[in-house]
Amino acid sequence: MGVLARRTGKRRSGVFAGQRRFVLGVTIPTIIYSGGLSLLSIAWAFALMFFEYSPGHTGGPLLGLGGNNPFVGLAHFRNMIEGTTLESRLFRTSLNNTLIFAFGVLPLNLGLTLPLAALIESVPGRIKNAFRAIYFLPVVTSSVGVALMWGHLYHPQEGLLNAVIRRFGGSPIFWLSDPRLKFLGVSVAMWAVIMAYLWQDYGYNMVIFVAALQGIPKELREAAMIDGANAWQVFRRVTVPLLRPTLLFVCVMTMLSSFQVFDIIQVMTNGEPRNQTRVLVLDIYVNAFRYQRMGWAAAASFVLLLVVVVVTVVQMRLLRTEWEY
Amino acid sequence: MATTIPQRAAGFKPEPDVRRSTERPGARRDLGVFLLYFLLSLGLSMTLMPFLWMILSSLKTATEMARIPPTFFPEEPTLANYTRVIQDPRLPLLRLYGNSIFVAVSNVLTNLFTSSLLGYLFAKFEFRGKRALFSFFLLTMMIPGQVTMIPGYLILVKLHLLDTLWGLVLTSFVNAFGIFMMRQFVETVPNELLDAARIDGASEWQIYTRVVVPQLGPALATLGTLTFMGNWNSYLWPMVVITTLEKRTLPVILSWYSDQHGRRPHVEMAATVMLVIPILIVYFFFQRWIVQGMTMTGLK
Repeated sequence: MGVLARRTGKRRSGVFAGQRRFVLGVTIPTIIYSGGLSLLSIAWAFALMFFEYSPGHTGGPLLGLGGNNPFVGLAHFRNMIEGTTLESRLFRTSLNNTLIFAFGVLPLNLGLTLPLAALIESVPGRIKNAFRAIYFLPVVTSSVGVALMWGHLYHPQEGLLNAVIRRFGGSPIFWLSDPRLKFLGVSVAMWAVIMAYLWQDYGYNMVIFVAALQGIPKELREAAMIDGANAWQVFRRVTVPLLRPTLLFVCVMTMLSSFQVFDIIQVMTNGEPRNQTRVLVLDIYVNAFRYQRMGWAAAASFVLLLVVVVVTVVQMRLLRTEWEY
Repeated sequence: MATTIPQRAAGFKPEPDVRRSTERPGARRDLGVFLLYFLLSLGLSMTLMPFLWMILSSLKTATEMARIPPTFFPEEPTLANYTRVIQDPRLPLLRLYGNSIFVAVSNVLTNLFTSSLLGYLFAKFEFRGKRALFSFFLLTMMIPGQVTMIPGYLILVKLHLLDTLWGLVLTSFVNAFGIFMMRQFVETVPNELLDAARIDGASEWQIYTRVVVPQLGPALATLGTLTFMGNWNSYLWPMVVITTLEKRTLPVILSWYSDQHGRRPHVEMAATVMLVIPILIVYFFFQRWIVQGMTMTGLK
């Protein structure tokens, strides 16, 4: 496969053959491994979504497709859009919840991390590093650990939040289990998992913003100051526009990871109450590995892929900019 | 504002925003600095509170736990909850820590090797099909892991590697993020250095092991730490692959254990501390590399 092209300059043929052997020696195992694993996985995932596949059934000769795992064409997708079965209703709920989750997380995350980064950027070096390191702690914490810690904070009897509410004379709230509670039209349980996720994730974007802020030439902000702009105007009119490339990166990454949220929700609520926090990956996991409906689950994960691609492309269009200053 | 310029001319180093409002009347500046540190400390306590609450709860007795309203600091701090987790016959802790360490360390070693080798290949060699291979890795990076999770599982079934730790190791030999990161670093290694080694008669493998790898020290440390943490914290894929209790990795066990102990949050919190603390120690030592590496590569 890989054949060494001529490098500039004259070389002795021994060295040349050595390089060629090296390239072949590295690329061939790589291609075999990646082809056998990644490429096969992608192709298989693509094929599965057109079948009613369960690993327990005896199927046809090729990857167990066909036979008792019949070809159903686009039936899964038709069901997802207009089906009235439980699984198609649950799918639509999950997709909807995933969108609520992702579009809830993004503005909250940006609204928190960007000002925080600007604040941190403005303190002297040693203290800045300490703040940055501590704010980053939750990012490195296991998400199962985060889910349990927050589940404990939200606990109706023993949780810290209800303790504070009681102190001020309120009655305890069943944060993660009361399906009737709503805030701004979104269930409180969903807000609760969004908050836990935000807590785990915000240090990451904050550190990126701090790095980007440090990269902006001081002269630009100083010039605005000299022209009589106050701190807020400088932030709004100079800093933020210059941060657009970083903003794009952060938006795309945050969206990508929040569309794939699983750990925190599976541990904290497992999709409850009344499926109000059931998200797409949880739906895929349950269908594929509890009910063995892998064809359906493959189709659902294809929808996840589509959503991710569409959102990424739209964001890139909206935030596209000249990448230099 | 005009004062800024002479100050700079006199070698005055411009300070960031808040200090710059020094030119304003003193009371307002003090208020600004106060507000800045107030907000930052508020954020800090929000960040640390869940950790603190977890640790405090893990030190409380069952009776104190059941009290309403709950106490903040434990009245009679006790390590009984930890003893309970350690002595639980259903939790062969040494084995479980061993599982997590085995998977994480194996994946660190394989990923450091493949990423540096392929990073070197993509940075310093020209060959037919290079662009195609590179785009392929780019593609695998874009596709969410959940999409290939189902076929990945089926492949492990076919290879009879389901419910083995090797299943978790063999499926993650190659890490596209690592390759991209290493490629960036290898590009900074001067070609003259490689050519000099060639002239001295070194083989290509010798150049890789003796010239390229030593140049990559900090980058390898970063990638290694990130890979270790990613594997240590990984939950969904190990849960899918491993079904036997004593073969599970720690996050999966913790989630299972908390299901069993829903009514005893103090024990649950002790177990959570035991999962979270090792990674916080790793973070404490490698903090700079982790923060830099994560923000540089987009790897989480």
